[in-house]
Amino acid sequence: MSTNTEITRKPVTVDKPIEVEYDLGLLCVNDPQPLEHTKLTDATKRETYLKETTRDNVQLLVNQILSLPLQKKDSITLVELPGPIFKLPREKSIPKPREPTRWEKFASKKGIQKKGKQGKLVYDEETKEWVNKWGYKGANKKVDNQWLVEADGGDSASAENSETSLMDPRKLQRDERKKLIQKNLVQQKRNREQ
Amino acid sequence: MIRSTKPKNNRSKRAIEKKESKIVENSKTALFIPGNTSNKALHDITVDLSALKKPFIKRFTKKNSILPFEDSSSLEFLSEKNDASLLILSTNNKKRPNNLTFIRTFDYKVYDMIELQALANYKLFEDFKKTTFQVGLKPLFAFQGHIFDIHPTFIQIKSLFLDMFRGEQSNLQDVAGLQYVVSVSAVEEDDNDTAISKLPLVYFRVYKLKTYKSNEPKLARIELEETGPRINFKIGRVQHADPEIEKEAMRVPKQLQPKERKNVQTDSVGDQVAKIHVGTQDLSRLQTRKMKGLKSKYDQINSDEEVEDEFVDAISENEEEGEEEEVEVDQHVLKKRKL
Repeated sequence: MSTNTEITRKPVTVDKPIEVEYDLGLLCVNDPQPLEHTKLTDATKRETYLKETTRDNVQLLVNQILSLPLQKKDSITLVELPGPIFKLPREKSIPKPREPTRWEKFASKKGIQKKGKQGKLVYDEETKEWVNKWGYKGANKKVDNQWLVEADGGDSASAENSETSLMDPRKLQRDERKKLIQKNLVQQKRNREQ
Repeated sequence: MIRSTKPKNNRSKRAIEKKESKIVENSKTALFIPGNTSNKALHDITVDLSALKKPFIKRFTKKNSILPFEDSSSLEFLSEKNDASLLILSTNNKKRPNNLTFIRTFDYKVYDMIELQALANYKLFEDFKKTTFQVGLKPLFAFQGHIFDIHPTFIQIKSLFLDMFRGEQSNLQDVAGLQYVVSVSAVEEDDNDTAISKLPLVYFRVYKLKTYKSNEPKLARIELEETGPRINFKIGRVQHADPEIEKEAMRVPKQLQPKERKNVQTDSVGDQVAKIHVGTQDLSRLQTRKMKGLKSKYDQINSDEEVEDEFVDAISENEEEGEEEEVEVDQHVLKKRKL
């Protein structure tokens, strides 16, 4: 069989009475030509017939593919394929966008815009230096490191907060900061959950 | 339904993310399940079919008692468990000999099903000469017969084979990778041979491409050599996709839809015509001729002029006073021109 075809040399161009349809995105060719029933039922002729029709169609398809824009990279030739025409079903539904968090809902309701990056450094007027807003030598820890802390207010203040008046103001400030951190963690968690 | 829990470590988290739906989807995995009554012939056929589908396959070795058209719950379970949306169940009985049920799932729910019964005269890879091609290459497809465009069952068969063997989606194709073709043929429905089936047979063939240089530039001469598997399928029971689910499954995500180009058209000649919008020009800052008289300090901004300006607008409305005013305006314009 193969020797026979070598001799006859099939043509490069094929003419079909009805135009075949290409779906180059899927490397597919559809031949609407009706197949000959007699040849298909005859077991001896069937295989050669199918092979011949497939060859003609594949020849047409390859001609089309090679006429597409080519890209050459090193020794590889790539063809740019257009999008597929025949629609195939997806495996899973389209991913849904993430639900807005509790904060995002609130912010959109109130019209709060996202702030840009503020930067971590802040200028300290007293020492004429740039210091961290928080963290190592952070500006929010100013009171913590002072050897002397100014007492707040006059007599009324000390009378009112008798509990805290005797406590170390550095510790009070530190506790306040820690409390804020805890509060923020709770908010973050709640935000994630809803 | 498989119980889903919050991932406790990164590895399981990654595994769950891999299963999640994506905008650009991965190639569908095919799961080959031998039914309770599967036999040697079906095993051989599924081995060959899976060889074409490699590497996106999973093969079960143990038999499973599944009746897909009666109860599909276990199929849905296996689909979810293995993250496979193409299931091929092989069963054999007197009524439906050598039966392969091709099941596709969407969101782990059965999308469509079709039974294809391999007739006894099938041939496998090993029955042909040892001409093979590399694993994992994308095949060419050839669908022969008008019936693949019109008959719903045959459209489903076409969709199934395209879906199964097309491999990974990409818009670039290596020319050297075009090595084999999957050819599916069927005659028209109005055939006389109703003894076999109401619907015509489906001829599934796989050929290897051989390319030769041709006399014409840029074109290659193609010859084919059959590699197998060669199977003639008889169509059994069919379950089409539910129209609503089909609509959902065919939806293209917004990100992948081609962007609409505004204001660009192609005219009858084929030239591209575009409309360009330019912002309003600021003429007040236009550099005109420099003259002493045009300096801003000589501008006549007084109450009279403003009144005149108002009249200019109102000329058409109050024509009674118009005549006098018009003259004045004309003089004013002349003055400016002279300057």
